[in-house]
Amino acid sequence: MEQAREENVEGGGTDLEGTLDQGFDKMPRRFQRRRPRQVVPDYVDWKDIEFLKRFIPERGKIMPRRISGVSAKDQRRIAKAIKRARTMALLPFVAD
Amino acid sequence: MKLESRKEEKKLANRVYELMYIASPETSDEEVGKLNESIEALVVKGGGSIAKTEVFGRKPLAYPIKKKNEGIYVLFEIVGAGQEIAELERRLRVNDTVIRFITVRVDEDRKAADKVRTKREIRSARKGPGVSAPVEQ
Repeated sequence: MEQAREENVEGGGTDLEGTLDQGFDKMPRRFQRRRPRQVVPDYVDWKDIEFLKRFIPERGKIMPRRISGVSAKDQRRIAKAIKRARTMALLPFVAD
Repeated sequence: MKLESRKEEKKLANRVYELMYIASPETSDEEVGKLNESIEALVVKGGGSIAKTEVFGRKPLAYPIKKKNEGIYVLFEIVGAGQEIAELERRLRVNDTVIRFITVRVDEDRKAADKVRTKREIRSARKGPGVSAPVEQ
């Protein structure tokens, strides 16, 4: 998994070079792309905050699928679990 | 028809719920114990049973609830038909020591997870011991 991520970062680097050739005003949209296949348990427990935290960036939002690379089904289950954990104040709605 | 209704009954009785509540941090241990007993009594009266009780104790809240920054977390696992859950929720809503609660029906999701797991095991067994399941990395 780690290796694949490094490759992606490298891909972002070449992207940057390409945009630099075209012009400085265009910034690359994102450096880190889809992480290939995430391991998600069959049952996503809403009490397992250590697991759910992996899908919550600093701001406290739910990580989009295009970044985390989980399947649509898993994303739905994770989102639901995060929302349940939020109502029980296990996870923040907004983190500053 | 008769068979169908009996089936329904059986299905109803086997639901599994998770109930978690947060008690106000001022609540003493005895009061929490008393509350838990009353919850259990209510569930048993409604024809259900308690599979698990877990008191997590004082934990910080991710955000303040009723101007409180911590709470006593308690988790139950209840097997029952569903009516006792409705009654339980009514009581918890009125109770002032409980600042937040949630009830989640878990049996269906767990069953689905088991199904996926067994399916995968069968598949990996068919492939033979040389090829590992694609899950672990």
